Amino acid sequence: MRFRFILTLSVLLTASSALAHHSFSPEYDSNKPVTLKGLVTKVEWQNPHAYFYINVKDEATGAVTNWALEMGAPSGLQRQGWTRNTLQVGDLVTVEGTRARNGTNLANARNVLKDGKKLGAASSETQGN
Amino acid sequence: MRTRIVFGVAAVVAVVVAGISAPVPAAAQRAAKAPSAPTPHWPDGRVNFGPLPGGKGHWNTGVGNLSETPIKMNGAFLVDPKDIDKVAPFQPWAKALVQYRLDTAGRDDPHPRCIPPAGPRQFNTPYGLEIVDQPEVKRVLVLSGGGSRSWRVIYMDGRPHPTGDDVNPTYYGHSVGHWEKDTLVVDTTGFNERFWMTRRPTGMVHTDMLHLIEHISRPDFDTLHYEVTIDDPGAYTRPWTASWNVPWTTDEVEEYFCQDNNKDTGQLVGGDTP
Repeated sequence: MRFRFILTLSVLLTASSALAHHSFSPEYDSNKPVTLKGLVTKVEWQNPHAYFYINVKDEATGAVTNWALEMGAPSGLQRQGWTRNTLQVGDLVTVEGTRARNGTNLANARNVLKDGKKLGAASSETQGN
Repeated sequence: MRTRIVFGVAAVVAVVVAGISAPVPAAAQRAAKAPSAPTPHWPDGRVNFGPLPGGKGHWNTGVGNLSETPIKMNGAFLVDPKDIDKVAPFQPWAKALVQYRLDTAGRDDPHPRCIPPAGPRQFNTPYGLEIVDQPEVKRVLVLSGGGSRSWRVIYMDGRPHPTGDDVNPTYYGHSVGHWEKDTLVVDTTGFNERFWMTRRPTGMVHTDMLHLIEHISRPDFDTLHYEVTIDDPGAYTRPWTASWNVPWTTDEVEEYFCQDNNKDTGQLVGGDTP
């Protein structure tokens, strides 16, 4: 499969301040915030969490990796202004989130920026879950 | 059959936890919120725990903690680890197991594996619940909006709990109920041990000796008050009680199935707790 990517990857491994460890903590590491920019390759508008996937290019090496981004449930996203069509395959987005503890290319999305607009992602980190 | 909706709880509520929320003066909170309408009742005098006829809404996610004494919480975890002794009168083995579950960030919680939110957990699980009163058949159904979207039956016809070999331990157990004025009192036995009975704190234990007594009331239109007494001589040294309020929301319950696209099982690896 051929992908066109024009992306950047910036992984920030700075220690976060005392953000709460909600029960998302067994899956995600609050000490590993991440910002990812890439093209959407797939959207799963489903429960218990909506997921979308982006292709991210490391500008230093040219390597492209596919990341999975977990958000809240569709109902929670709707309350933050989303619809099932907000993200489309091919959209260029920037994601602010938290990396998974299992070491895979998985992150919990906190905010999604598209076309200059920032949308909250109903993250379990901010939902007290 | 005419079905009467009596309660509802569901949806997502942003939980403002101690230690991370910006303080809001109490006076400002009072000023921001309009006074609630009074408790609604059906024509026969029975309290209505649901929307008004033709209206909409349900009970949102309860944000209370299953704790005998109010303690400072950080989401599902204790801010001060020493507060575990304030949560409940644990037997030593039960305290050790809860401590282990807290220390491993709740990674083994059955709930993200779509096990039903049984016991008190039904009243503080995201996406809430509805309770459907069927006075014609003397049953009340408590429908979970979240988790595995499961339900429990409360028999209101005066039947006893099963005994002996007739006991078949289940997630929701065997519930019988009655009204004490405007309060629904529910007595439940027959639980299995394959679920964690609360969301906050994570990892609260029970045995198949668990006996719950729940008092559910609606002190005003916007508030559901949930009180539960845990009587489990297998895990605790004496019966103990916790309570919290569940807020009303004007949204309808949306469809939610944990089983739909659940990826959590392989991703729950544990982590640091506060």
